[in-house]
Amino acid sequence: MGREKEKEKPSEKALNLLRSRLADPNFIFKPLSDSPDSNYSKLKFIISTSVTEACNNSILLLGPRGSGKVAVLELVLSDLLQQYPDVISVIRLNGLLHSDDNCALKEIARQLCMEHQLLFSKVASFDDNSQFMIAMLRECGLAHKTIIFVLDEFDFFAQGKQRLLYSLLDAMQSVNSQSVVIGVSCRLDVDQLLEKRVRSRFSHRKLLFLSPSKEDTERFMEHILSLPVDSSIPQNYTAEFNGRLKKIISDERFKELITTYLSFNFTIGHLVRFQAVSYMDLDVGFLSLENFKTALSSNQRQSKLECIREYKSIHDSSQTSDNYAANVCLRAFEHLLQRQLISFIDNKGHNQSVEFRPVKLLISSAELHQGLKSSHQCPPVTMLRAARTHLENPSAFWLLTPQHLYSVMH
Amino acid sequence: MVVLLQGRPVLLSRKDSGHSYSSVKRCERPSDFVNYLREALEGVISNLKGNSGKSNSKMSGRPDGTMVYLVFDNLERVRDWDKSSTILPFLFNLYDILKMPEVGLIFISNTSPDTYYLNVGYVEPVPLYFPNYTEDDLRHIFMVNQANRKLYAAFLDVVLRPFCRVTRRVDELAAALSSLFEKYCEPLSDKQVVPNEEMKRKLFSQIRPHIASALNATFHVQSQPLLRAETNKETKKTNSSRMSGYLEDSDKIDFHMSTSAKYLLISAFLASRNPATLDASLFDSTGVSDSRKRKRKASEKSMEQKEMAEQELLMKGPGTFPLERLLAIFQCITSLAEDSLDEEESHEPTTEGGSRGLMSDVLLQLSSLCNANFIIKGGSCPLEGSTRYRTAVSEDLALKEVANICNDTSSALASSVLVTQIHTLLYRTWQVRVDYISRSCNGVADILARFGRHATLKGSLLVAPLDRVALLVATDQKHWEEGRMAEGRMRAIPHG
Repeated sequence: MGREKEKEKPSEKALNLLRSRLADPNFIFKPLSDSPDSNYSKLKFIISTSVTEACNNSILLLGPRGSGKVAVLELVLSDLLQQYPDVISVIRLNGLLHSDDNCALKEIARQLCMEHQLLFSKVASFDDNSQFMIAMLRECGLAHKTIIFVLDEFDFFAQGKQRLLYSLLDAMQSVNSQSVVIGVSCRLDVDQLLEKRVRSRFSHRKLLFLSPSKEDTERFMEHILSLPVDSSIPQNYTAEFNGRLKKIISDERFKELITTYLSFNFTIGHLVRFQAVSYMDLDVGFLSLENFKTALSSNQRQSKLECIREYKSIHDSSQTSDNYAANVCLRAFEHLLQRQLISFIDNKGHNQSVEFRPVKLLISSAELHQGLKSSHQCPPVTMLRAARTHLENPSAFWLLTPQHLYSVMH
Repeated sequence: MVVLLQGRPVLLSRKDSGHSYSSVKRCERPSDFVNYLREALEGVISNLKGNSGKSNSKMSGRPDGTMVYLVFDNLERVRDWDKSSTILPFLFNLYDILKMPEVGLIFISNTSPDTYYLNVGYVEPVPLYFPNYTEDDLRHIFMVNQANRKLYAAFLDVVLRPFCRVTRRVDELAAALSSLFEKYCEPLSDKQVVPNEEMKRKLFSQIRPHIASALNATFHVQSQPLLRAETNKETKKTNSSRMSGYLEDSDKIDFHMSTSAKYLLISAFLASRNPATLDASLFDSTGVSDSRKRKRKASEKSMEQKEMAEQELLMKGPGTFPLERLLAIFQCITSLAEDSLDEEESHEPTTEGGSRGLMSDVLLQLSSLCNANFIIKGGSCPLEGSTRYRTAVSEDLALKEVANICNDTSSALASSVLVTQIHTLLYRTWQVRVDYISRSCNGVADILARFGRHATLKGSLLVAPLDRVALLVATDQKHWEEGRMAEGRMRAIPHG
């Protein structure tokens, strides 16, 4: 048992280390947060001032998915909780779960009860919960404790009547409370969604989390993937690994790769999920450029083109002398439906049998052409090709029925 | 632990080590679901950590590889739910919501991730693509667990390629290939024999004609001979099993319908497929009116146009028809059928034989055909206010029915069509009183009716009674007098 641990190859250890780093959001975002004008510092400053000066505040964190809003927030909160123990309590709500006001208040009450070791009653009504919340706010205000409300997926709270937002913000203004409301959202225009009365009570502070620049990205990758010198991995391995890594990163092809990847997945979160590390060949023991290439190709969306390639091999009829019966065609048609290469135009078409309901093609003719061309395995004429020839008739919209396809096929 | 998602209310049940469900919690909202899930998961994880190594006590704070995976299978079904636009983002974000690093989520789906990308957006899960099996893969799969590998290999060499063009799914192929393999092995007395080239050739030539028919029957829902052998005869009369209902090598239709239902089906098909304007010429019993029209030689262009128009009509699908038209066609068909047998049938009163032939409740038949999805009930016409119907059978089925009926001499295409017509009249919205007048008293009406049906003109004006009629009037009178005396006994009203 002990011997096995020693025999563990350095490459395996390195791989484990890298993987654990990539899965840990704290590690990822810490270096980005060190500079004084980063979002981390600003956020920390805002919250700590409202804690120390006993005032209310509200703030919005905006940015695309994966840009680290919640991660940075968690970093800030953990730091503050260490700095001011017992003064801060955090209530976390999520728009996906709690967009309904009843639900949200129940959850607030529940979390408040958990924090302050009170008994929570599940059958409390909406009014009870809201009165409880206001009472707690007042009490905490008098005791100089701050409550921080974190509203994740803030745009969901802005749907409907916004009762919760209004009551929260109103309570902050009227009651003698100390609280901070932090909204996190992917929509950059979420403050436009707020009602007038809510917006007037909202301080328009926004922190934007944008994607890093190119140099930052490279620095980030190097930081993430370099092995630390003082770990349990042997020194010479570490040195060689880091050396090779430097070479890869400065390689032009690598830069191209990364730019391609980032052109459609442009946040740090996406970058981290770039799975090159898992392709690292353990025998060779080091990362190579090929790993990155493989990761890029496998990460590109398995579009419906793949599906077409697979199904092309099924639907050929006139090159061979097979003449397929109607039921085989119908089944093939249903497969196409399942793969969402086509779909019914209206969902209420229960008045007609399947054969006569019009469908529309969900992929463009360019994609269709590409998919058909690039399949090696079968003769060119297929059901989809039949569809395409039908659709190329300019007077037809993208409308066809299975009946059309049978007639073209036979 | 088992999680059951059933639309909005979500069930969370916990399975303990004894593989029995120890507690079931029902929750209506995602927030409750997440709370319960978190509790349950924390319990499970602490159990797992407690069970595995106690030696790593100093590493107990860090995640040490014990993971709980939640597997969601057949995720594409969620897309069809009502609340799919909220449930899908919720599922995909569940990892972030739970914030438990020991929990992993695995989604299994047979559509590409493209189809899940809704506008709301979420961090997409890491895709892992399983491509379709290639022919070689399929060969390997099917060779597993075969008793006689060489024989099966020879079989696959012949059969696999054409089948791969139809489908690559293992379940569908397995069903088709197993029955075909049995046929392949039929002439072999010894199933363990290793075939040489000559034998292979012979077997191939023997199986060849069956391959084509088996291909077309690939998506059969095979009726297992072990179970439900004869109840499969009455296969469900739904559209989806139209594919499974046919035996390609015989023209039989293997479900039973009463004759009147068959006629109704055919008339529905005719009503749907032919425009209403053609009815007069199609069903005119005289069949002479056409010859009176001067036929111009149709030019090629107009013939072409006519063909295109017909094709268009065929493509558009079956049209709708109101109930009255259906019944009119039905009457025409059945009365034509009755005519053909008129000479053979004797003039027996039609009160007996109530269960024979077409004596049935037409509207009841219609509603049962609607329930069986042979006829689809459409919306109502805004002008007339009556509901319209549409046929849902294919031309094949209708033709087979016709063939069936023509060949079926045992069905009593009896003279009780008159009763059916009476029933349709009875169902109209008026008050009806039915009296019985025996044929012997009613000879005049009989003669006149026959005269009218066979007349060459559309309507005849009789200025004086026909010769035949004059004689009968007296006979009728006599019979009527006799009948009235026995009135009480003869008050039998025919009812179906």
